[in-house]
Amino acid sequence: MLFRKAVVYALCLAVFNLGSPLVARAELVGTLQAVEAGTRAEDLATVSAALAKQEVREQMAALGVDPADIDARVARLTDTELRTLADRMGEMPAGGDALAVIGIVFVVLVILELVGVIDIFKKT
Amino acid sequence: MRRASPTHHRRCGLRGVRLRAGAAVLTTLVLVGCASNARLAELARPLQLPAVVELDSTPFHPQSEQQCGPAALATVLEAAGHAAPLDRLQREIFVPGRQGSLQPELVAAIRARGLLPYEPGGDLGELIAELAAGHPVLVLQKQGFGPWPAWHYAVAIGYDSGRGTVLLRSGTTERLELRATVFDATWGRAERWALVVLEPGRMPARPDLERYLRAAASLEAVGQLDAARAAFAAAADHWPDQPMPRLGLANIDAARGRWSEAERGYRAVLALEPRLAAALNNRAEALSRLGCHEAARHVLERGAAQIDPEDPLRPALSRTLADIEARAAVAEAADPDVCARLGQH
Repeated sequence: MLFRKAVVYALCLAVFNLGSPLVARAELVGTLQAVEAGTRAEDLATVSAALAKQEVREQMAALGVDPADIDARVARLTDTELRTLADRMGEMPAGGDALAVIGIVFVVLVILELVGVIDIFKKT
Repeated sequence: MRRASPTHHRRCGLRGVRLRAGAAVLTTLVLVGCASNARLAELARPLQLPAVVELDSTPFHPQSEQQCGPAALATVLEAAGHAAPLDRLQREIFVPGRQGSLQPELVAAIRARGLLPYEPGGDLGELIAELAAGHPVLVLQKQGFGPWPAWHYAVAIGYDSGRGTVLLRSGTTERLELRATVFDATWGRAERWALVVLEPGRMPARPDLERYLRAAASLEAVGQLDAARAAFAAAADHWPDQPMPRLGLANIDAARGRWSEAERGYRAVLALEPRLAAALNNRAEALSRLGCHEAARHVLERGAAQIDPEDPLRPALSRTLADIEARAAVAEAADPDVCARLGQH
């Protein structure tokens, strides 16, 4: 009898430790989730947030973000932002990226200047 | 008035190249694509905004190479009274491999300081309304052309409707006066993305319920509960008939384990919108936490019959029901009289 009881307790503990869905804490619906459910009915969770987070971590590392900063940077993003970044981090607008354009414009201008089409580098 | 010619404007990521010519050509290219005038005066007048606004106390952080994101962010943060060192911001938002900074990380950096990052809806009228309300506006511009786009963050600090210009802190230029048409064209090509930093509890000039709620709820989602609560409270004042700000307030109570206050809050939400799935779900959870499992089950069962079959939160309700039943099996029930009182509503 005592043995049986012990087994039951041990199993209960094990179940709790495993975080079995049966006894897991019910998740409240957060306000952000509620707002998003009301505004767009599309597949909210095609990619799980945990997966998106991992993906963003890997992309940040690949894009040269200091590994010491990655966890803190990822932790402050919402699930929606994580999914956006996981999808588009490589091609979404990155304010700051102007070097190439300026170089090209400059080269074009120099050529135009040299062939005499324009005359803007003259000191007035 | 001092004029800063656009030709002195040095863009993000540029070092050492005098930009006279480049900017002239870019400006021309932009103008070619934009025949119509953005008529600032016509926007300002019906909104009863001043003809000229310049937030000249806005600080100036000249950017170093590729650092227009941190520089613009430092500018709006300091203007809101939360100065942050540039090198610190750089570590928070700069992405070396993209040679720039990404919008969600700018937003997150503001949120991480317990401030509300609000995104004005994207027309020139809303931009100048924010400026007139004293809020400098961080903007994204798309410069460059064709296959060579160049994204740039700057901070709008004013406008002059008589001259038809917008004033910016931009790159290494402290006071850039851009023709509104030119500004609007580059801004328009970046989907008119804009950001203002608000102390939680303060409203933007022309608040939009959904955008405001999204910003406030994102504060909640990343655990900035005090800031989120202040923002929800302001929203509940501003939109007294709307259920979502009150749902936010109740969710903050729940996040802090104040189940009784939370349950009352959810009831108030349901009085405004009886079929709001999130409020039904969370009220049931709160009831169950208070030990009223039977009442909780009743709320969910009744709720499931009421909400839209297509509601994306429907699965959450089923999960909560399963959880409540599991809890009822192991946890003690509360005083039936107390639960009967709560469950009556």
